[in-house]
Amino acid sequence: MILLQNTRIASENSPVLVEGDVLIVDGIIQQIGPGLAVPEGARVIDARGRILMPAMFDAHVHFRAPGFENKETITTGSEAAINGGVTGVVMMPNTRPAIDSAAVVSTVLESAKRKSRIPVYTSGCVTKDREGKELAEIDGMRLLGVTMLTDDGDTTGDPAVLLRAMQYATEFGMFFASHCEVPELAGPRALNEGVMSYRLGIKGSPACAEEIIIDRDIRLARAAGAHVHIQHVSSKMGMETIKWWKSRGDVKVTAEVAPHHLLFTEEHIGDYDTNYKMNPPLRTQADCDALLEGLKEGVFDLIATDHAPHTPFEKAQDFISAPNGITGLETALVSLYHFFVRPEKFGWDLVVKRYSAEPRRLMGLPVPTIEVGQPAECLLFDTEAETTFTKEFMKSKSQNTPFINQTLQGRVDVVILGSEILLEREATVAIG
Amino acid sequence: MARKDLLDIASLQREEIELLLDQSTAFKQLLISSGKKVPVLEGKSVLMLFYEPSTRTHSSFEVAAKRLSAEVTNFNVAHSSITKGESVRETIETLQAMRTDYIVVRHSRSGLPGMIARLTKASVINAGDGAHEHPTQALLDAFTIKEKFADPRGKRVLIIGDILHSRVARSTSTLLQKLGVEVAYLGPGSLVPRFGPASIRRFTNYDEAMAWGPDFVYLLRVQMERQDVQFFPTLREYHRIYGITNTRLEDIRQRGLYIMHPGPVNRGVELCDAVMDYERSLINNQAENGIAVRMAVLDWLTPGGDLPKPEPAYATRSGAAPALVMP
Repeated sequence: MILLQNTRIASENSPVLVEGDVLIVDGIIQQIGPGLAVPEGARVIDARGRILMPAMFDAHVHFRAPGFENKETITTGSEAAINGGVTGVVMMPNTRPAIDSAAVVSTVLESAKRKSRIPVYTSGCVTKDREGKELAEIDGMRLLGVTMLTDDGDTTGDPAVLLRAMQYATEFGMFFASHCEVPELAGPRALNEGVMSYRLGIKGSPACAEEIIIDRDIRLARAAGAHVHIQHVSSKMGMETIKWWKSRGDVKVTAEVAPHHLLFTEEHIGDYDTNYKMNPPLRTQADCDALLEGLKEGVFDLIATDHAPHTPFEKAQDFISAPNGITGLETALVSLYHFFVRPEKFGWDLVVKRYSAEPRRLMGLPVPTIEVGQPAECLLFDTEAETTFTKEFMKSKSQNTPFINQTLQGRVDVVILGSEILLEREATVAIG
Repeated sequence: MARKDLLDIASLQREEIELLLDQSTAFKQLLISSGKKVPVLEGKSVLMLFYEPSTRTHSSFEVAAKRLSAEVTNFNVAHSSITKGESVRETIETLQAMRTDYIVVRHSRSGLPGMIARLTKASVINAGDGAHEHPTQALLDAFTIKEKFADPRGKRVLIIGDILHSRVARSTSTLLQKLGVEVAYLGPGSLVPRFGPASIRRFTNYDEAMAWGPDFVYLLRVQMERQDVQFFPTLREYHRIYGITNTRLEDIRQRGLYIMHPGPVNRGVELCDAVMDYERSLINNQAENGIAVRMAVLDWLTPGGDLPKPEPAYATRSGAAPALVMP
């Protein structure tokens, strides 16, 4: 039994926070109301001033296992998720070997069962070894629970291959997640083509490289009657392309945006700072502004971090050699609060809807809410406390994020999954 | 302010540039008046780390260092454009043991000399990194221009060629603008990006560029091999549209313009043979001035300082990025 006293409850349906106590019994929310009696043996958490909301779900993470365990493992990745208030993730399949067969899927899921305190789901490759040529054994993966197919990290280059895959897998109720970029236009470097690429003397990737594949993959999905999910959109025109297709209503398309594309621009790269190197690349302030509008208007169904850990050694190389990626699981929620909720750019309802509810709907999973009779899957967020993202604070094996050693307002204090308290930080507010 | 490294022109203050150019004048006079060495860098060591083939820049640095009485070591590295950051790091860690005072580095990867500079106490001089910067070339260009116009403010320099891939175009135009010189670019639309600096005029038509009224015509080396996807169809077509042909040379002569080129030249591409004998060609002056300028740079830098922290992991470098005060 867990009793959360004097909390303010957030939901996806309203920006208004509802005050009250919440009693969790056997992992189920049993009572909500003001001044609930303390049952005998209950674990009492004074949540005064803190916000209770459904725990987050990240539909785009790289846990690097198998094959790149020097960067991240399922253990460290899932602990990082908990540290950031996330209680469910979808792994991307660009591992070594790639997650492109029932054998690898089952290895990953078995390993996750043993090593992770939260549910870990995995996507599967569209093509064998993400090479864009032969189809992966799609139904074999489906039988183990895979619903999302993606060659994430790259675009499935040959449209005929993707169209066939869509025609085939849609019949099994699976959907496609697209990393959108014309490889010939993008080149090997994650940097926007523009002022910065010119200044730094590195070939850039123009926004049209993304726009073209967003449009292509939606058209392919329409032709195949498939559902396509557009990953980590980075450009204004990319957002507008999705908006236009959604307004037509004759194809099932969903889309995600990553916090870093809302927060940073190419200018942040400064003097070749590799913490700002990711793919798709950071673009301009106009793109950031448009992506934020897209999020508020619902063009983006969900927020996903594209949590992409790399070792210090790899990231300390020169900008061209350093790998693409930024971690996000531990910083996402706090940064969304600090930069958007606190200055009232949007409310907690948007955060809950886009980073907790919608990603679960995408995956066909039950959506936790703070309501009587619902399973407890929630977090307490302290808006008065700060978080300093030190190496010690971070649970991820890698800390390749511009937030390293930065202090932001807000803190994830408690994470509850069922009857288990996964995370409990020392309260800053005195219990009284 | 003592500087450890010379990595780019962008971060140089105007006063620093003027000081370097003044010092270059002094070193040039010294070079002309006597062929002897000066003991400025006696007991110091200079390491030449060239990951890209280079004859001119390499020998210019070597001569400059030897004239200053430094000991010069050539570190033989594979001339491979795919030498990646991690193997360079290992090399630098090895070189630390050699306790060299100066490292002159050229690499095809933009930004790589900056990475080396963070790993070593030695003064790092960027002798050209990818399409990023080539600061000593810019200094010698400015020096050469100032020999013609002691006060170059308001003079106009037209840079013609492959701007997109040119570190020379970037460094030289940045430096010239800091000295009050106006700069314009001319070349094929595919090689003169629209997203270049707003302060630089962009031309794709030769006659329009000449009508702008340049005092100097600065030609860049144009290569086909740079191109993964073609930027223009043939060298012959390039020469016809943008090259200094005999007819154009005559026009340039009548206008009294100077011609510059960082070398090595591609005859029949960016210029015709006759340009080499043109009385106002400064191409040889540039090569000569390179030694004096590089002597001034070696003399000016101060090796040493603190080694980077033992854990350089993801160091958010000071001044590298705007503070995190977004939306």
